[in-house]
Amino acid sequence: MAGTDLLVALAGQPNVGKSTVFNILTGLSQHVGNWPGKTVEKKEGFYVSDGTRIKIVDLPGSYSLTAYSEEERIARNFIINERPDAIVLIANASAVERSLYLLAEFLLLKVPIIVALNMMDVAEQQGIRIDVGLLEKYLGVPVIPMVASRNQGIKALVSAILSLSEGKKENMPSMADISEDHKNIFIELSDILERYITPPYLIRWTITKIMEGDPDVTEKMSRTVPPDSWSRVQALLRQHEDSLLAVVRGRYDWIEGAVRSAISEFKRGQILFTDRLDHILTRPFPGIPILLGVLALVFSLTYGLGLPLQQFLESFMNSLAMGVEPLFDQSPWLRGIVVDGLIGGAGTVLTFLPVLLFFFAAMAFLEDIGYMARAAFVMDSFMHVIGLHGKSFLPFCLGFGCNVPAVMGARILESGKIRFLTIFLTPFVPCTAKLAVVTLIAAAIFGKNALIMSWALVAGNILILGFTGMIASKLLFKEQHMPFIMELPFYHTPNLRTIGIVVWKRLTTFVKKAGTIIVLFSVLLWLLSHIPGGNIEGSILGFIGQSIEPIGRPIGLDWKMIVALLASVTAKENSIAALGVLYGVGEKGIREILPSVMSPASALSFLVILMLFVPCVATLVVMKQEMGGWRWFLSSFVFMVFLSYISGMAVYQCALMVGI
Amino acid sequence: MAHMGRDTIPLILLKEGEEGIIHLVLGGLGLISRLASMGMTSGMKLRVVRNMGGPLIVTTNGTRIAIGKGQAQKIVVRRLAAAKEKADLS
Repeated sequence: MAGTDLLVALAGQPNVGKSTVFNILTGLSQHVGNWPGKTVEKKEGFYVSDGTRIKIVDLPGSYSLTAYSEEERIARNFIINERPDAIVLIANASAVERSLYLLAEFLLLKVPIIVALNMMDVAEQQGIRIDVGLLEKYLGVPVIPMVASRNQGIKALVSAILSLSEGKKENMPSMADISEDHKNIFIELSDILERYITPPYLIRWTITKIMEGDPDVTEKMSRTVPPDSWSRVQALLRQHEDSLLAVVRGRYDWIEGAVRSAISEFKRGQILFTDRLDHILTRPFPGIPILLGVLALVFSLTYGLGLPLQQFLESFMNSLAMGVEPLFDQSPWLRGIVVDGLIGGAGTVLTFLPVLLFFFAAMAFLEDIGYMARAAFVMDSFMHVIGLHGKSFLPFCLGFGCNVPAVMGARILESGKIRFLTIFLTPFVPCTAKLAVVTLIAAAIFGKNALIMSWALVAGNILILGFTGMIASKLLFKEQHMPFIMELPFYHTPNLRTIGIVVWKRLTTFVKKAGTIIVLFSVLLWLLSHIPGGNIEGSILGFIGQSIEPIGRPIGLDWKMIVALLASVTAKENSIAALGVLYGVGEKGIREILPSVMSPASALSFLVILMLFVPCVATLVVMKQEMGGWRWFLSSFVFMVFLSYISGMAVYQCALMVGI
Repeated sequence: MAHMGRDTIPLILLKEGEEGIIHLVLGGLGLISRLASMGMTSGMKLRVVRNMGGPLIVTTNGTRIAIGKGQAQKIVVRRLAAAKEKADLS
């Protein structure tokens, strides 16, 4: 099958069902990575049709193509530089006006484009009738009606892509004009700038962008245009401050034409389902109590279903370890690396998969039906107190499962500083692994007060997150609040395919980290704790622990606990394994031994430090990656070490004073 | 504020259920074009769904948008004669 290769880009605003279309087209052939040098996700995949291999690139969702956000910049640079064979613009049939705004921008780039009019069913439910034929005629580009969630219209879309790229059909698009009163400025600007605009940039597009005040294009042109001409351009723009509005108005006039010719709306009178639900869910009361209830349900479901499975897997790992142990009779080193390092280290981490599976499935479900946007909305006022806004609530929620996807989830925040602060605070959200350690140690040491202690620790942890955020935001954001603008999608029935793919992606990220970084560190940790002496006391790790024991005194930790804390950096649950090995727990089990070696005050200090200490390597790696530079990352690292030490000391000394 | 005429007010002063026409958006080009791309620009009709001291929810052209208080102060609207109070849901 020789066939030709086509490059097709999927574009669209958020909440138009773009990822559903992408998932249907590419299935499991998709590859998820990053745009080079950016922390924006790049998704690619293939669709094969009659010997034609179509490479599909999912452009980041963006409302427009002005360079105000990374997503928009990436999308338009891709179009300008890669010149795809076709662009599929996914539009939301129930909010056509808005989608057409993005289309107006694309048409300026003179690209072969197809409009995929998705969510036709939703539009119909809302009494919106769209005459596809008339719309197509008005726009001059193919329009394909679709219901992607029910797999309708995909075939038609593919054949439209093929006939467009084979040149069987040529686009004769109509285009939005600049509003009448500003046409002269457009012409004047063109006269000055025309000769300096070189391919791949188009004259009409460039001038429009200059009128819009696009920072990138303006900057680029200011460097190529001679100073005297450029100052004339600036004078013109100053005289007509409202150039941007003229461009916008022109686009909406054009959109209105489309709407008038092809769309009729019947009685939208009946209150929509979304209205009714939002009436309840977006009020502080009962919105916030409902949110807390929903989260409580998610947690009890996650732990109720996940923990038994986790324990089952743990015993499976134990028997696996016992099963393979005889194989390494000859080589105690290999035995140590495989049994203690691989199975005991990375294997333990993997036993948390069921817990994460249930948690991520519940979160993905809530996201998919549209509830999480409401959660962000009602939490906005609270989040403002700590210098963030509602959207940061979503990554924090994920953090209760695992900090890794939470750090990556901070990508939904478009403003740089708020994103940094959210990532900075994420490690203070106690993840499942930390909670497991807290529960176990609290149960061993505090007996019947264990539950209260665990709750107090978690609550304290969240309070510290709040205080840190408050102080950090005061230092960082001297100016006004960051803008909070967020679309609230309509509620809809869950799409199992979309949920499945989201869960799958988050879980595989976790497994990949466990399979690479955590395996590496587990083995390294095992080596460090056995070289050169063959046992921990005589090892490098033991040596480090013993030599820094003095700093453990004010916080009530002996060197073994310090080593366990260092081990927790591999993965939080490894601190338990380390304690087990260091105190020689053996057959008796850690619950029996701990009370005899750890005083309640020390245990408290240990847990506080564990919760505030630097997160696990997997989280550290993504933090570095998402924060870009070293500055934020290192300051966050140093801060956590410092904060955990101070807090541990405070808790320990207080505990001694009140006689715990 | 110089831009406020007699019958124009910042969006934040519209009550729940009230409708208005956007008169203009103050603030930087970034905010103006961001809002424009979501359908919130001069001449557009909107309805306030939620305004209870926190961020607002407005609907425009079939889209519902949550918008911070700070931004809602920068959107100047002309209040439309009280739209018939549809039977209040509560």
